[in-house]
Amino acid sequence: MIDLPSRKKVIREFQKKGGKIAAVLPIRYPRELFRAFGFLPVEVWGPPHADVTLGGSHLQSYTCDIVRNAVSFLLSGGLDRTDLILVPHTCDSLQGMGSVLLDFVHPKQKVLTLYHPRGVRKADFDFLTEELKRLCGELSDWTGGEPPPGAFWEAIYREETADRALARLYRDRELLGLSDREFYRIVRSREFLPAEDFIENEKKLARREKRSTSGVPILLSGIVPEPMDLFDEIETMGARVVADDLACGTRRLYKSGHSEDPFVRMAERLFSAPPDPTRGSPISERADHLKNLIRKSGAKGVLIYDVKFCEPELFDVPLLRKKLEAEGTPVNYVEFEMGKILSQQTLTRIEAFIEMIG
Amino acid sequence: MKALAALGIDVGSSTCKIVGVDESGELIWHLLEQADPRAEDQVQRFLKAAEQKFGPLKAVPFVATGYGRKLVKDAAKNITEISCHAKGVYHELQKPGTLVDIGGQDSKVIVIGAGGRVVDFAMNDKCAAGTGRFLENTAGRLHVPLEALGKTALSADREETISSTCTVFAESEIISLVAHGVAVEPILKGLHRSLVSRIVAMIRSVGLVSPLMLSGGVARNEAMRKLLEEETGEKVHLPQYPQLMGAYGAALIGLKNG
Amino acid sequence: MTESITIRGKLRYQLAVNVAGRLTLAFRRRRNERKTARPGWSRDVLAPPLKLSARMKELMSRHYLGGRYANGAKKVAWVTSGAPIEILKALGFYILYPENHAALCGARRKTVEIASEAENAGYSRDICSYARTDIGAVLSGKTPVGRLPRPDVLLACTNICQTVLYWYRVLADYFKVPLILIDTPFIYEEAHAHDVAYVKRQLEDMIPAAEKIAGKKLSFKRLKEVVRFSREASFLWLEVLDRAKHRPSPITAFDGFIHMAPIVDLRGEPVVIDLYRQLLKEIDVRISKGIGAVKHEKKRLLWDNLPIWFKLRKMAQTFAGYGANVVAATYTYAWGELAPMMDETRPLESAAQTYLHPLLNQGTGHKLESMQKMVREFSLDGVVLHSDRSCKPYSLGQIDQRDYFVNHAGIPALLLEADHNDPRSYSDQQAENRIAAFMEILEDSSNAD
Repeated sequence: MIDLPSRKKVIREFQKKGGKIAAVLPIRYPRELFRAFGFLPVEVWGPPHADVTLGGSHLQSYTCDIVRNAVSFLLSGGLDRTDLILVPHTCDSLQGMGSVLLDFVHPKQKVLTLYHPRGVRKADFDFLTEELKRLCGELSDWTGGEPPPGAFWEAIYREETADRALARLYRDRELLGLSDREFYRIVRSREFLPAEDFIENEKKLARREKRSTSGVPILLSGIVPEPMDLFDEIETMGARVVADDLACGTRRLYKSGHSEDPFVRMAERLFSAPPDPTRGSPISERADHLKNLIRKSGAKGVLIYDVKFCEPELFDVPLLRKKLEAEGTPVNYVEFEMGKILSQQTLTRIEAFIEMIG
Repeated sequence: MKALAALGIDVGSSTCKIVGVDESGELIWHLLEQADPRAEDQVQRFLKAAEQKFGPLKAVPFVATGYGRKLVKDAAKNITEISCHAKGVYHELQKPGTLVDIGGQDSKVIVIGAGGRVVDFAMNDKCAAGTGRFLENTAGRLHVPLEALGKTALSADREETISSTCTVFAESEIISLVAHGVAVEPILKGLHRSLVSRIVAMIRSVGLVSPLMLSGGVARNEAMRKLLEEETGEKVHLPQYPQLMGAYGAALIGLKNG
Repeated sequence: MTESITIRGKLRYQLAVNVAGRLTLAFRRRRNERKTARPGWSRDVLAPPLKLSARMKELMSRHYLGGRYANGAKKVAWVTSGAPIEILKALGFYILYPENHAALCGARRKTVEIASEAENAGYSRDICSYARTDIGAVLSGKTPVGRLPRPDVLLACTNICQTVLYWYRVLADYFKVPLILIDTPFIYEEAHAHDVAYVKRQLEDMIPAAEKIAGKKLSFKRLKEVVRFSREASFLWLEVLDRAKHRPSPITAFDGFIHMAPIVDLRGEPVVIDLYRQLLKEIDVRISKGIGAVKHEKKRLLWDNLPIWFKLRKMAQTFAGYGANVVAATYTYAWGELAPMMDETRPLESAAQTYLHPLLNQGTGHKLESMQKMVREFSLDGVVLHSDRSCKPYSLGQIDQRDYFVNHAGIPALLLEADHNDPRSYSDQQAENRIAAFMEILEDSSNAD
């Protein structure tokens, strides 16, 4: 078993070595750019333990918990050890958060934003390249200089290696002898571990016999599977996750780039990710991608597990459901509010679904 | 007396029910009480009552369902009320169809296939006033006894529109109507209509497979039945003990596996 | 999947819209113009409705009638409210605005019935009520305007929200027609050169795509003309709204909400210019006679966000009952304030700038500045911020904006929880109570002065 340090510990150790910390909101950003400037990106996916009334003093109750909790966490001092906050423009809620931080909250950390284009046309690609250059420019202005020569490429290669390691984990998930919870703890350590540590961990994981196939195989879709107890519950209910379409999971399986221009290369990588509503992927493309995952993994049903008020996800649910059910795969949509515990209602829905497809 | 072959218990949010079945799956015994906050004690009481009636329960399969199903330590298995209601109603009415179960905390629409299998299901939004609890609260606020709720609603010759489905907003609408001197009956009828329209939306979302069946405590409410028939154009079929269907289904599952 | 243009279709369109429709609607307008009272209009607190609204109604009815017969006669585009339509207009497309159609369903209290169709199909109540209304209308064919034309192309521009992108993806899947996206990066502080270049390039790329669907070449001469019409109409609209600076104000923001349909749906057409010129004339008569839209105007307020379409008159009357005139709105203003950016001599570059800069595509601090400016210019006493459950880009930031007004500028401000189109997320009782309390605060604050 791999001993994974906590986010706190990772931050402390990185700082001990003179590094700085960037808190990053979901979903997409160039890790390598931050590493080249000496920042370790540590992602914030709506920490569930903050006093949510703090976020409520800036954002209305119909804002999703990922954003409200993140603001609550910031205001309760949870991000005090970070030096900058990157708020990618992923959706209207994160747009609101970025804007409110810049204009009203004024945290002590530097606040940066990043606009990921919503198409995959040449114009979108070129824009993203320029947008990455702008972000780089702001980082240089703020830190007072460009990274040393070579640092860029070193960071790019390292992140590409780590993403290949992540892809291998997914490929070999049935051979790792891990529970779903353990597997996703390792996958999600990509959210805060330095790439070099993630790569080392992946190497340490031994491949064994294929795990026994007792549970009902399901595909888990959504933004983020919180709390992680969800996986224990799914296991107790007699099911197991054999594939995912999670924004913090396979939707971020980035491929290596080809270009010799570092900015073009970073853009190539971000563009290589599987379809995602926040990037504007057509729904039919998402459905085809899911069908493919279902075929490869043998999943008997799709559980869409999403935080309440997540509009990008909600719009796709009826058509995804229709398209997948037409091919014989039942789909169930369950929403949750990000708290410490899973509600009975949520659990009953999942359990009834597993009973139904089992 | 017929021999007990399996027991099912449904620990719900409003009531707790236990059902015993014989070898053929016939319902031969039951108990129903308001839910005790100390569910474990209540379950023990129920089991003791069963023991007094049938003798030692050691070899009798025992399955739990309902929100408190995980608290039933003695149960061999626990199964969600969705599967149990489907099983129970199928066994009693002997046909596939669409089951509406309006419970205290949740309302569900379940499409039942051959053998009582769940084909699909939908449940109410958290914020929507689509549950039995909401009717109960309103009944209390309007000083109408729960048993008379449906009859009182049906006695109205007109109805007020209650448009909000958020519980808080709907309550404020009702308070406002009362404050404006509107009689209780049309308010109640409008309230039932609003609840039924939420249910009908769920029915449509899974697709109606005839016949339409109703279970859960609210099934005894004639206004719900009548309006559901009006809104769907389908006759509503009722099992003999609508409230016991979860526990009954649980017992049937125990019988099959035991 | 799309219908081709035929002589028969064109003929049918001419007969139904330009002959029969024109006559019937003109007749109806004249009848409406003679009416001086409207059911439920409380004349004791509000001036009579603007006469021109009959004309406006005629214009919009003709627009929707045109939609009813558009398939077969014209190519049809469904577009978002902030979309760059000038290119499509120049290519002769019939342009439908689902947002405006949804608002119309809201104003006619048809939303619940139509949106339920979408909800029954699995669209969550947590998604925008405009989108639910539109998807419901598509799935069921229900609409108060007879029939909506089938689109040949969809045009979504992200300058108002990301919601439109998710929504139009659903439409694209349903209709199996191309979706043209104009992605407009959000401006947190100021627009960068690469943002403008990106939008301009998408506009350039859109031309061949739209030409292909239209089956003809874009005439730049025509495009310039359309831009000129758009610009002129926007300037006139701004003038109309600015007349509210007079005391008492001859119009209310609710008049603005009602009369904004042409600048949204028909901009680029000369008829809008004509309409707003006449509107200005009517307003100027009111000013010369000292007529206020609210009879005893004591307080002047700002409205932020979309209106509550299903409660327009009720809101106007509730405020007027307290002697308060909501004279200005950030929302109606948004359709005029970009007029100076439009430039027919550089149609694409100026369009890139114009469509990048709507209020909704700029930061929450910028919106506060705009509101402060309006408070000064319109001499306002208070601010009503409609916290709209269905519109996050407009609503997020309002808590801090309100806080600024109350605690730093000493201007009473109310956060009013509602929804622009869904009456189920609104409670009269609660809203009235909050407005009453707010009016008490306004009174107190002026007594303290």
